Amino acid sequence: MVRFLRHYGTLIGMAAIVLVFWALLPDTFMTARNWLNITQQVSMLTVVAVAMTVVMVVGDFDLSVGSMASLSGIVAAVLFTMGWPVPVAVGAALVVGLAGGLVNGVLVSVIGILPFVATLATLTMYSGAAFILSGGKTIFGRDIPQSFADFAKSGLPLGSLGDKPVVLPWLTLLALAITGAVFVVLELSTYGRRLYAIGGNAEAARLAGVRVTWLRLTAYGFTGVGAAVAGLMYASRVASANPTQGEGLMLNAIAAVFLGMTVTRHGQPRVLASVLGVLVLGVMDNGLTQLQVDSYVREVLVGLIILLAVSISALGRKAIGRW
Amino acid sequence: MPQLSLHGVVKTYGQTRALDGAGLDLRGGEIHALMGENGAGKSTLIRILAGLELPDAGQITFDGAAVCLTSPAAAEGLGLRFLHQELQIVPALSVAENMHLAHPYPSFGFGLVDWRALHAVTLAALDRLGVTHIDPTATMADLGPGDQMLTRIAATLIDTQGPRPWAYVLDEPTAALTGPEAERLFTALHTLRAAGHAILYVSHRMDEVLALSDRVTVLRDGRHVSTLMRDQVSRNQIIQDMTGRDFATLYPPANGEVGGAPLLDVRGLQSGLLRDIDFTLHAGEVLGLAGLSGSGRNHLLRALMGAVPRQGQVLVKGHGFGQSPAAAWAAGLAYVPRERRAEGLMLHQPLADTVALPHIPALSTAGFVRRLWITRLVARLAQAVRLKAQNQAQVAAELSGGNQQKVLFARALAGPPVVLLLDEPTRGVDVGAKFDIYATIRGLTAQGVGVVMVSSDLPELIGLSDRIGILQGGRLTQIIPAEGLTEGALLALCYEKEVA
Repeated sequence: MVRFLRHYGTLIGMAAIVLVFWALLPDTFMTARNWLNITQQVSMLTVVAVAMTVVMVVGDFDLSVGSMASLSGIVAAVLFTMGWPVPVAVGAALVVGLAGGLVNGVLVSVIGILPFVATLATLTMYSGAAFILSGGKTIFGRDIPQSFADFAKSGLPLGSLGDKPVVLPWLTLLALAITGAVFVVLELSTYGRRLYAIGGNAEAARLAGVRVTWLRLTAYGFTGVGAAVAGLMYASRVASANPTQGEGLMLNAIAAVFLGMTVTRHGQPRVLASVLGVLVLGVMDNGLTQLQVDSYVREVLVGLIILLAVSISALGRKAIGRW
Repeated sequence: MPQLSLHGVVKTYGQTRALDGAGLDLRGGEIHALMGENGAGKSTLIRILAGLELPDAGQITFDGAAVCLTSPAAAEGLGLRFLHQELQIVPALSVAENMHLAHPYPSFGFGLVDWRALHAVTLAALDRLGVTHIDPTATMADLGPGDQMLTRIAATLIDTQGPRPWAYVLDEPTAALTGPEAERLFTALHTLRAAGHAILYVSHRMDEVLALSDRVTVLRDGRHVSTLMRDQVSRNQIIQDMTGRDFATLYPPANGEVGGAPLLDVRGLQSGLLRDIDFTLHAGEVLGLAGLSGSGRNHLLRALMGAVPRQGQVLVKGHGFGQSPAAAWAAGLAYVPRERRAEGLMLHQPLADTVALPHIPALSTAGFVRRLWITRLVARLAQAVRLKAQNQAQVAAELSGGNQQKVLFARALAGPPVVLLLDEPTRGVDVGAKFDIYATIRGLTAQGVGVVMVSSDLPELIGLSDRIGILQGGRLTQIIPAEGLTEGALLALCYEKEVA
């Protein structure tokens, strides 16, 4: 029973949450439109959580993803105001993400600072940089090119339901594409297998010929780029950039990975499991919002769900240890 | 003087009989040395004394009355105190605070520490041990391992309500100590003996044992072999008691012809305490490395793998290679590390992943892992090493020690290797798995693979090696043929320098 709950508790919980909302919101919850909406709502979080999974596979984590998301949005928006073309500005923001990630990687892997300390420091640095660049203000209006803002508003037409067209948002597709790419890298590539080996036992991996220092460093690079992509997605969605836009992404992303780890066989971080974690958080948020539950109450409930899932997993592991 | 006696102690773990009639007696005012090879049962006997294990049979008496050591608290109640190699200290706290970890701090009341009294109590306890050079306010981390050990002993001499210490058990206390540090420890032990305490001293170091102890008990294969007074004891007698069994049949016969092409050439290697290491390993040869702990045996293998920095020349089939484990594996070296859990296995990942890890370049195309190739390879290797696992996805943590070791052997075989580096290949492995591992090693050398093996199990080393190199204090002092070598002779060679 304990073993069963440990592996399937989170999945059962997810199903239960869906059923509860379906019962309480019979007209609006279980509709294609709402689910498409949820996927769009969670697309940014998905990208950050998937990127976070990469460093967590190695056994590290990155607290700076939220402020990196803010910074990348600001970098792109500032470049827009200077008249840079959209692709170049977006590219520059991604380069900033890569550089910020590699800085984290050097601090953790080469210099040897604990991930918690190193990325806590860069969290405030990247956030500060976003404020400096933006002058502390939100950048919006005519400064944001139409083509950039339109990306988040449109999608792939799927046909129509009644008189309204149904579209699969580009944001959702982008999140899916990135999830797929990271899945391939982590699960199928030699790079990913080595990352898992480092996470399993760094010293053993080193003695088996894995270049631990270099790979840990590059994993942070991936996570930095992922955070930057999420920041750009957010900026596109709200057609503006603000130096605090990434707040909350980091904690939710780590929560999503942890939720995902409760369903994997040996408690490892895995991409698809992280996406499941994101969906749990997204569905909770969507349903509770529709039920007009106060947002502070919502936060308490989400925290409780995370604790519940992780507790069952931890207890289950203890019980298995005893057998 | 009080006396604690253990007699006819039997302890079985699963299929293995760790103790089979072991015993010794501790008397107040006496230093008693306990000796035996690895696996002779010393640790198990100590664990029983400490109340960590219950014996299956045997009597334990204190001053003639039967006692039960059912828990660590019971052992403490009898006045037994244990000092392990790895001391339990808090490096960031002061000496005085470390010495009070198990005692209440002197206090002004309301939980306020009386620092002056704390330091006075600490000084008094150190003084009782005859130790005057340690400052109670010093930070523990700044003390050498010898002084740290002295503070741990002194801590037991602090006056408290609890049971007073009567006997001390020291397990390889000098393993990490320098000469002068060890001397200070011996002085302290003499002080304790003069105060009527009993001391059980477990050590591999013959010279220490002969200089320090009043009596020596030798265990072999879990049995009590002899207990001799100091004036009856000689080095040769102890070695004979520790060994002296017929082990010729245990090991598969050597392949005979050795002396093929040179596979591994080491010239002037320096690393850590290793100095001027020269040797050549030939195809099909097993070179055993013997030496006391701290002689640099294990470090030599790590240096060859590039896991620690090295200077000097290392050639595999005449070619040099870079200084990293990756380069070493690529050059054809394969390594089975000493600590399989810490240095070898991804304990919570599928065993196939651990086996494939160093060979990923050969098991992938264009950056993508070829699952099928891995599955086939692991299936073949699992059969070759007689691995017993449910399937390839089973995690190493669920396997027995012997099968965990076979996973690492499968990994080492996958290359296939040119030279195999084995560090304590059968440590903590059951007898059945040992045979499988010996057979695997023989099979490899028959195919022309060279093996460099470090083992504290001397019969194993003699039984498997073609030649044996003796390491002493970081130098390879001699390389001799293993054939005809007795365990006693080899042990004497390892100790030789200490005598001179």
